[in-house]
Amino acid sequence: MKKNIELLAPAGSMDCIQAAINAGADAIYFGVEQLNMRTRSSGGFSIDDIQDVARLCHSNHIKAYITLNTVMYDHDMQLLRIILQEVKRSRIDAVIASDIAVMQYCTELKIPLHVSTQANITNMAGVQFYARMADVVVLARELTLQQVSDITRDIHRKDIRGVSGEPLKVEVFVHGALCMAVSGKCYMSLHSQNASANRGACVQNCRRPYIVTDAETGEELMIDNEYIMSTKDLCTIHVLDQVVNSGVDVLKIEGRSKGAEYVYTVTQCYKEALQSIYDGTYTDEKIYEWERRLAMVYNRGFWEGYYLGHKLGEWTKQPGSIATEKKIYIGKGSKYYPKIQVGEFDIEAGTVKKGDTLLLIGNAHGMIKEKMEVLVVNGEEAGEAVKGDKLTFKVATKVTPGDKLYKVVSNA
Amino acid sequence: MPKIIHYRNKCIGCGICQQQQPVHWRMSKKDGKATLINAAGKKDVYVLTIHRQLQQASKEVAAACPVRVIKVTL
Repeated sequence: MKKNIELLAPAGSMDCIQAAINAGADAIYFGVEQLNMRTRSSGGFSIDDIQDVARLCHSNHIKAYITLNTVMYDHDMQLLRIILQEVKRSRIDAVIASDIAVMQYCTELKIPLHVSTQANITNMAGVQFYARMADVVVLARELTLQQVSDITRDIHRKDIRGVSGEPLKVEVFVHGALCMAVSGKCYMSLHSQNASANRGACVQNCRRPYIVTDAETGEELMIDNEYIMSTKDLCTIHVLDQVVNSGVDVLKIEGRSKGAEYVYTVTQCYKEALQSIYDGTYTDEKIYEWERRLAMVYNRGFWEGYYLGHKLGEWTKQPGSIATEKKIYIGKGSKYYPKIQVGEFDIEAGTVKKGDTLLLIGNAHGMIKEKMEVLVVNGEEAGEAVKGDKLTFKVATKVTPGDKLYKVVSNA
Repeated sequence: MPKIIHYRNKCIGCGICQQQQPVHWRMSKKDGKATLINAAGKKDVYVLTIHRQLQQASKEVAAACPVRVIKVTL
C-alpha cells in the first residue's frame, strides 16, 4: 500500500486555501480569469493573485495547481500565454489542462502538467499517450475501481514515466459533485441557455425537477422522481481503503464553488481517514463519524459513484444541498486586539444567543467554528447580541473587516 | 437613442456576441474577452449609442449572452 498519497483540496478563494491548509491538505487547485470550469459559480482569482496563492501555499509547504481546463478558442491564446508566464514566474507547481494548446505551451515553457478529468482518460493507451507531456493523469470519473487498479498496475509493470522522469502518477476524484454527463462534457446548459459548461458557465439545469409531457395530448407522464438528471454527490470515505488499494497517488476533492467550511470539513475527514488506513485503525465507527461530519456541509446526498460498478440511477430528491447544517450571515469583523488575541465583530443581521455555534470565515483563518459558551457584547457579558451590537471573542489569527461571521443552525 | 451597455469584467469570452453582431463586437486578442467597438468605458462598464434600427438585433445579442453582461436600453 502506498503511504504517501496526496490529498488535493479545491480552492475558490483565499479563505478556502487557508481552510485547506488548516485541515491538512497536501495541495490545492484553483482557477483564474475565464479559462477554468468554475468561471460562473466561483468568485475566482485574477492573474494578479497567482503570486499570492503560490506564496501562501509554499510558505505552508503545500503545492498549488492551477486549472486551465476549458475549451480554448484562438482569441484565448494571448491570455493563456500571459497566465502561463505568470505561472512560471510564480512557480505554481503544475497546470491542470485538457486542451492540446495548453499542453503544448506548458511543454514549451517546461511547466509541469496534469491532464484534467475533462480529457476523459479511460484506458491505458490514453495514459501512455499523455505520459509524453504530463506527470499526473486524472482518470475519468466513470471508471470502476477495478479498471483504475488495472491501469495503475500496468503503469508500474510497464514502468511508464512522466516528463519529469518519475513514475506517472494517477489521480482520482474521491468526493464532491458528479455530472450526469461523461465527466464534464455536457451540452445541456449550452442548448437550453446558451451557457457552455465547457467554458465554465454551466447553469446547472440538470439539478432541477422535470416533467415529461406528451406533445400530442399535453398529458403529463408520471415519473418516480422528477429530479431525473441530478446525480447525488460522490463520497468514498466508506470505501477509501479500496480506493487506496487501487494504487492511486492523488485523491482529489471537488468543490471550487463551495465555502471554506466545506473545504475544511471534507479535507479534514479524508486526511483522518487516510491516516487511519495507514495506521490500520480504519473502523466502521470512524466511518460513521466521518459520514456524519461530511453530511453537515454542502451535499446532495451521497453515493460511491461508479467505483464499485453499481447500477446507475442514484438521483437527488430535492434541489440544492441537503446538508444537516446551514450558515446564516450575522456580521463582519471590525477590530483586532493582538496582545490579548481578541477579535471584535459588528453584528449586522439576526441575533446571537449564548450557546450558539459561530463560524468565522476569512483569509487569515480559513474557517473557525466555535461554540459561544460566554458571550461578550459591547464589552460586557450578556445573553444575547442583536443588530448594531459589538461582539468580542478570542481568535488566534488577525481579524479584519473582510472577515465574515455566521451562525450555524440546523437545516431540518 | 438606444444604448448597448457592456459589463466587461464578468465576460467569459465565449464569442457569441461577435458571431451574432460583428459590427459591434470583436474578441480581444489581449485578454480573450469581448470588446464593444467604439464604446466609451469607465471602470469596466462600456457604453455605445446605437441607431434604433439596430436595437432589436442588439437585444437578441444581449439575450444570447450566457452570463448576461450585455444590456440594451430603450
